[in-house]
Amino acid sequence: MLKIKNLHAKVGDNEILKGLNLDVKPGEIHAIMGPNGSGKSTLASVLAGREAYEVTDGVVDLDGTDLLELEASDRAREGVFLAFQYPIEIPGVSNLNFMKAAVNAKRDHNGQPPIKAKDFLAKVKECSSLVELDGRLRDRSVNEGFSGGEKKRNEIFQMAILEPKLCILDETDSGLDIDALRVVSKGVNAMRSPDRAFIVITHYQRLLDHIIPDFVHVLSNGKIVKSGGKELALELEAKGYDWIKEEQNA
Amino acid sequence: MAVLTDIFKSTLLPPTRRSERWKYSPISKLLNTSLSTDSEAINSGFSKEVDPNPVQGLEAYRLVLRNGKFDASLSDLPVAQGVVCMPMSEVEDGESPEFQNTYSQKEWVGELNESYHQDGMFLKIARNIKLDRPIVIHHLTDGIDVASFPRHFVRVEEGGEVDVVIWCSSTKKSSGMYNGLLEASIAPNASFMLEKVCNEDGEIYHFSHENIIQERDSRFMMHTFTVKGHWVRNELEIVSRGKGTDSIFNGAYLPTENEHVDNHTTMDHTSSDGTSSELYRGIMYGSSTGVFNGKVFVRPDAQRTNAFQQNTNIVADRGASINTKPELEIYADDVKCAHGCTVGQFDLDALFYLKSRGIQEKAAKALLVEAFLADVISSVPSTELRKEIMKIYQERHGW
Ligand SMILES: Nc1ncnc2c1ncn2[C@@H]1O[C@H](COP(=O)(O)OP(=O)(O)OP(=O)(O)O)[C@@H](O)[C@H]1O
Ligand SMILES: [Mg+2]
Repeated sequence: MLKIKNLHAKVGDNEILKGLNLDVKPGEIHAIMGPNGSGKSTLASVLAGREAYEVTDGVVDLDGTDLLELEASDRAREGVFLAFQYPIEIPGVSNLNFMKAAVNAKRDHNGQPPIKAKDFLAKVKECSSLVELDGRLRDRSVNEGFSGGEKKRNEIFQMAILEPKLCILDETDSGLDIDALRVVSKGVNAMRSPDRAFIVITHYQRLLDHIIPDFVHVLSNGKIVKSGGKELALELEAKGYDWIKEEQNA
Repeated sequence: MAVLTDIFKSTLLPPTRRSERWKYSPISKLLNTSLSTDSEAINSGFSKEVDPNPVQGLEAYRLVLRNGKFDASLSDLPVAQGVVCMPMSEVEDGESPEFQNTYSQKEWVGELNESYHQDGMFLKIARNIKLDRPIVIHHLTDGIDVASFPRHFVRVEEGGEVDVVIWCSSTKKSSGMYNGLLEASIAPNASFMLEKVCNEDGEIYHFSHENIIQERDSRFMMHTFTVKGHWVRNELEIVSRGKGTDSIFNGAYLPTENEHVDNHTTMDHTSSDGTSSELYRGIMYGSSTGVFNGKVFVRPDAQRTNAFQQNTNIVADRGASINTKPELEIYADDVKCAHGCTVGQFDLDALFYLKSRGIQEKAAKALLVEAFLADVISSVPSTELRKEIMKIYQERHGW
């Protein structure tokens, strides 16, 4: 589904991604771990199409489409979804209007008419119960005054509404309490399907206890330096990153 | 060719850039034109470009003026118990209003209006009368080098209530000056709502001055929308002369190309326990220029005043700019005053967030603009007017 080859990206003069390779097939869950500042969020942003990041080399292919050629909104309409590490507050834009505009943008892209009010509300109900999102939060301005955990829940709520094929979760677990972590993971697991893939960025094993990855990768200094199965995450939890760095230097 | 000051004589001199109030809104170009109140209209009858009824679907009374002159055939004035509404030109000599404001002694623009004033609305709302529909004053400028000096007078007696819309249009080929004045005095416990919209094509120097006098426990709410205009100066002066008045005044402006928009407001609290809330928001497109100046006075007797002022601007394009300045003068000690002026850009993070959900750039910007304007526009009393204004903004800026 997603093929990343030799991806290089920079912000200003600062090269952050330095030849990254990753291959994700439908139905798979890939976890990406790695030290602070190694480039995990940068990878997520580059995939989602944030303009501040300049891709200087490499290829990103999503089911035959050159993703790097598309604008952020077109990538989303092709099925890419990024759950932000730091969701943005947008005062004055209601969460529901926002989701309706997003759903209709995608339907328009697929040549479908705008969604019927009744169908939309049913969908909202279904998806908010999936992540146990408080009704009042749905009606408020996008993320405005939401707690850290509420913002993360709202990201997964949006993901459920939009039914993307490639879901990128950037530290969705940070800021969640233990119960919320369970609820959000349950939501993610409910969305697992043979034709949907996940890239889950996290620092902690505890998320991977709930969302069990097929692969675990270590991103360090702009590259994937080690890949393995789910047991790699346990090893990292126990030993930290130094041993990988040493392995690299050896 | 005669210059403006030869045609319209005055004792006060026209403002120059040396005056603080006019520093960012020079009028030297206007002063070199030769205008006339008798310029011939381009169209015979009301122009086909502009509908005499500017807000479709709004059930309202209507007073139509063309180049400062009353057009009876297109007007529809209220006839109701306790309501006097007529063109100034039909007011009997003994009944003529006594204007209290001193604008004509302070400013050249005001003196011209005083000396050369034409027609306008004379409105009196008797005690406890609430007019059932708004009155729309529609002023059309249609002519080359035309000068118009409309003048309106409103008195709302105790407990009375009325909503007035002043809508200014102009045809594409028109040029000249619009110099309009409205004075309203609001008796104790009365309400006056005013919505002012400038939607002018052509090249008009638009000066409009509202002078509001509020007595005890009266309520005033105004919205000033600069939808379109070559050069626009909105001046609003509110004097609170009694205890417990409430004044709300909001404005929005979205100039583009080489347009210029200037909003000067003065809120003068002279009595105690008053509240005022001012919110002006602007988006500067193209190479437009803007000015905001908001003065708030809290006089020594105005204890327990609560005054809020905010001016927020987005500069959308590189070539555009705005000068904004709050001026608070507070002489009472037990008061609450908050104010803030900001100039920024579109929030790129918010834009990316919206786009990352599949919403395209244009639609994403529209959502952000609507959100930005919502606080200003949501308090407009009539839905039809709100919709019409948003529609024109949308059409103009291609959301
Ligand atoms: N917009 C930006 N401007 C300047 N530097 C940036 C920008 N975005 C990222 N960087 C830098 O790039 C590097 C990688 O940042 P990134 O956010 O991708 O790290 P991360 O792996 O997600 O870290 P964390 O685990 O702390 O979330 C950091 O050194 C960061 O300071
Ligand atoms: Mg990060």
